[in-house]
Amino acid sequence: MRFGPIVLTFLVGATLIAVFFIPNPKAQAVNSELLLWATIVYAFALILGSISLWNTHARKIRFKLDGWPYSLVTLVTLVVVTGLGIWQGVGEGTLVNRIYNMVNSPLASTMFALLAFFIASAAFRAFRARNVEATLLLVTALLMMIGRVSIGEFIWKGFPGFTEWLLDVPNLAAKRAIAIGVGLGAVSTALKIILGIERGYLGRSR
Amino acid sequence: MGAALDTRWFDPARLNLLVGLLLFLTFLVINMLRAKAGGAIYIRPLAGLKALDEAIGRATEMGRPILYLPGLGDMSEVGTLASITIMSRVARKVADLGCTMEVPCYDPVVMAIMDDVARHAYLEAGRGDQYKPGSIHYVSAQQFAYVAAVTGMMVRERPAAIIYMGSFYAESLFLAETGNMTGAIQIAGCDKVTQLPFFVCACDYTLLGEELFAASAYIGREPVQLATIAAQDWAKALAAAMIVAAIALSALGHPGLGLLLKTS
Repeated sequence: MRFGPIVLTFLVGATLIAVFFIPNPKAQAVNSELLLWATIVYAFALILGSISLWNTHARKIRFKLDGWPYSLVTLVTLVVVTGLGIWQGVGEGTLVNRIYNMVNSPLASTMFALLAFFIASAAFRAFRARNVEATLLLVTALLMMIGRVSIGEFIWKGFPGFTEWLLDVPNLAAKRAIAIGVGLGAVSTALKIILGIERGYLGRSR
Repeated sequence: MGAALDTRWFDPARLNLLVGLLLFLTFLVINMLRAKAGGAIYIRPLAGLKALDEAIGRATEMGRPILYLPGLGDMSEVGTLASITIMSRVARKVADLGCTMEVPCYDPVVMAIMDDVARHAYLEAGRGDQYKPGSIHYVSAQQFAYVAAVTGMMVRERPAAIIYMGSFYAESLFLAETGNMTGAIQIAGCDKVTQLPFFVCACDYTLLGEELFAASAYIGREPVQLATIAAQDWAKALAAAMIVAAIALSALGHPGLGLLLKTS
């Protein structure tokens, strides 16, 4: 039970690493084939996801848990849209396509528009000068904001250039340092899984 | 005329990457041998991971659930793999203490794997019968539908602790700010550099970048796992030395090393 998945993970992981270094079309075909398999697995997992969604919301409705009417809306939408999709397809001009464009997209855009308010509340909390680091953040943010509007240039001609320098030098250096750490961490995690050192994804801690 | 097919069996432009990978493997083997021989491997304390126990304990005392969010990444994202291994450790502690954990998922494959992982964690803790099927469930594969559902859960169920581990995108601030408003203790770990500031602003503890990948080994404390972090640190030290050397040589008019480090 334990040996099979570890060997399979090693073979697939090692193959994909090898293929990365081999431009030959035969090797790239293996890569494409494996990606196709991943898509097929995803399609089957989506059935599991739909069952999970149904069970979660059906339980909420059955026991009249908090927010159960929302669950009812979710399940009715799931059934109606799936039914329409099977009946008419999902192409241009179909009902599913119109629901997507006229209901789903505006709702998603509305949610995204709320981001401005969340940024404001997070900034308000972060910019309180509680300690040295928070004060540094506050001062930098103020300089950035002033330097990015025309009044900044009016106060001091070098303000826009200074804010560019803040972004391109100290900020970018910190970002790249984190990115290098993330890259090495990702390689380390991938190798741990491929070599069978990390088995948490199999449901076993050791 | 189409482009000619590249029939080579090795891309020499990627030789530096291969050398880097082999060096990393060498560091890994050396440190694993060190760990197996009983050599001490020091890992600096990570406040965010220490707080995990506190968060789980708090949830148990308050009788409220823990919300674990694995991010929007699929199984091809290493951040998601790290999240799954961290979740297995968290689930084990949750099972030991007897509190409840909910994991709303964005990706159905991640959901299926996490469900199995959590089930096994409960079995390992000897509490297989207490695992609630459906506690790890699918929500939606649409970013803002997922956000709407999860923030709704936060507001209605008022979890005592919210743990964000994995790959997050534009939804990070929505989730972390809403969680902050509910008063939950929040611990985040993310491998996306652009989202880290949002988590730092809104969460009590944040694992920055590579700390997410070190978390699983840190929680488990197994010597072989810790050895992988030591190997990672060696690689980072080498990378830093190479960068400094490349900059110095380039400034002196010898860009060779810098060009050697360039990847295709």
